[in-house]
Amino acid sequence: MPFNTQDPKAYRRNDKFDTMTAEERIKLLKPYLPSPPPRTSSQRAAAKAREKKSLFGVRRFLRDEFHLLVFTIVHAFFSLYIRIRQAYHAVINQVYSIYHYHHRTPELIQRDVKALRRLPKHLSVILKLEDYGRGSAGLERLVNEAADIAAWCASAGIPELSIYEKTGILKGYLPETQRAISQKLVTYFGPNGPALSVHAPHIPSVELPALQGAGRSDGSEPKPITVLLLSAEDGRDSIVDLTKTLTEMSQRSKLSSADISIELVDAELNESIMGEPDLLMLFGPHVELSGYPPWQIRLTEIFHVPDNQGVGYQVFYRGLCQFSHAQMRMGR
Amino acid sequence: MSDLYLSRIRRWFLNSPPAEWALCRLREVLIGALTQGPIPRHVAFEMDGNRRYARSHKIETIEGHHLGFEALARVLEICYKCGVKVVTVYAFSIENFNRPKYEVDGLMQLAKMKLEQLIQHGELLERYGASVRVLGQRDLMSPDVLEVVDRAVATTKHNKTAILNICFPYTSREEITTAIRSTVEEYSTTPRPHSTPFSQSRITQKILSKQGDNTELLSSIRESSPSPPESRFDDAESISSSSATLHPDSPPLKSGAGENVTIYPNAENITAETIDNHLYTAGCPPLDLFVRTSGVERLSDFMLWQCHQDTHIFFLKCFWPEFDLWHFLPVLVEWQRRQKQRDQDEKPGRRVKQA
Repeated sequence: MPFNTQDPKAYRRNDKFDTMTAEERIKLLKPYLPSPPPRTSSQRAAAKAREKKSLFGVRRFLRDEFHLLVFTIVHAFFSLYIRIRQAYHAVINQVYSIYHYHHRTPELIQRDVKALRRLPKHLSVILKLEDYGRGSAGLERLVNEAADIAAWCASAGIPELSIYEKTGILKGYLPETQRAISQKLVTYFGPNGPALSVHAPHIPSVELPALQGAGRSDGSEPKPITVLLLSAEDGRDSIVDLTKTLTEMSQRSKLSSADISIELVDAELNESIMGEPDLLMLFGPHVELSGYPPWQIRLTEIFHVPDNQGVGYQVFYRGLCQFSHAQMRMGR
Repeated sequence: MSDLYLSRIRRWFLNSPPAEWALCRLREVLIGALTQGPIPRHVAFEMDGNRRYARSHKIETIEGHHLGFEALARVLEICYKCGVKVVTVYAFSIENFNRPKYEVDGLMQLAKMKLEQLIQHGELLERYGASVRVLGQRDLMSPDVLEVVDRAVATTKHNKTAILNICFPYTSREEITTAIRSTVEEYSTTPRPHSTPFSQSRITQKILSKQGDNTELLSSIRESSPSPPESRFDDAESISSSSATLHPDSPPLKSGAGENVTIYPNAENITAETIDNHLYTAGCPPLDLFVRTSGVERLSDFMLWQCHQDTHIFFLKCFWPEFDLWHFLPVLVEWQRRQKQRDQDEKPGRRVKQA
């Protein structure tokens, strides 16, 4: 409710000098308060009678209908606005994706990245399994997207990539994912690509050494890249599991509950799942974490392109740009 | 020059009684209209940007915080009028203790003053039916603030319609750690023994006497029968003996006779809900909407556990002191729209399943 001109001034003066008494403050506030709720039964009955008197609630009915009308109008206008916004963003995204395309050449990606002040050391992405019937098309697309992102990271020089997918299907196909990524790296880098290691929490990792070639012509070796596959069970469930373990230890008196500190939990979760990522990229149209590990996203920069649908290099590039401008204040 | 005049004329117009009345009506109507659709049950606000607002308007930092408090009052009014059950606000982070001392003191004074005023007119919150809760690490508060906080919580305890959670010295990691710790404590203290008329040793005795083969064994059991209170245990509970603490490798069940046997609830029964119930926000509905102002796209250690599932997270560009219905309305409407879309997406699926 907007205030009249005098009241906020008086309120702020009081804030500064604390001159008003409680009664004066109440007087100041009274006009802005809703009517008190009926407290006793007699009051409630009186309120009901008053309502009945007003032509069997015609007034209330009319008010509700009017609100419904406004609601419909607001939503209609808003859908129109959303449509226009989506169209606008779609055009912008298209322009970006034409302007920034990787052409599967690491040099182009490196040139894009060179201008940025800083890069994340640990990038995390959330991918979604699109359900195309029961076929494997969804999985195939998912693996393909994962491989693409890994190749971009390798080209940009980001050493650590974690890929979160809620259902954990990628973890189930670890060797296949590994193969797809290394093939993708070959198409980007040629035969002497970066060393790749793909692993997932609680699953033994698979490592591939850098393909031995005749050394690069310019002598610079691409940095090795680590890819981590995550799923919903690495989020809440891992914290629950940790609690179970700690409880068992405490029941056997191997640990007192006072020993449980933020540092301990942090160290354990870092060890068994992963550390804090610097940047989290979402490829969906809006921000929804869908079960991403909660402990680790404390200070992670979250990036998404509004109304974007699907994985694209332009999202990746814009995320890196945004990250290089963001500043950390750590509560100060 | 003309700019200055324009803004003055605009202000004069907006402050004139008819415009004021119209705006007031408009707000009422919009809030009333919003209640026709689905309303989030639990909304969290990260009130960021007070200082940057103060800097950009060339006023003192603490002034900015005061304006931020006014924005909070506005937002609370909107929320409660719409029918939001729980509002959680991030007032002060544990990390904020790193700020300059005068600012920390100023914030503490602000909190104390506001809560004191709240206590003085307790019926104020009664009209909204809101109770105040303060979430956070209590031992970091100074005693005078703590006393006021406790009084404020106590005076509003009986209000049931809505809840205002003030996170004050709070970080989410601290909250999760505390929840883990209290879960561990709950599971490693022995539950109180049930007063059961049945004694386990008497039952064993009966069985043994029925078998009636060894009288010596019987006597040995009788010796140990005045044992410490025993509790009935379900098969879902595990037994471990305190003697195992001395020899952790020895199997706990070996130390017979039922002496010193402590029965703990099974740790395998711990689920995400168990931890949920030990968080500061225990008993609140799941978080539906998370709003952070000032254009920073991070969670900054706020509501990590609560918002990482299907909460809709909105990052807004405006500073917190500017935040008003005009910023909040699009967020709410978009949330309602998404809710409607989700329902529509679910419906055809259900139809397919039925067919």
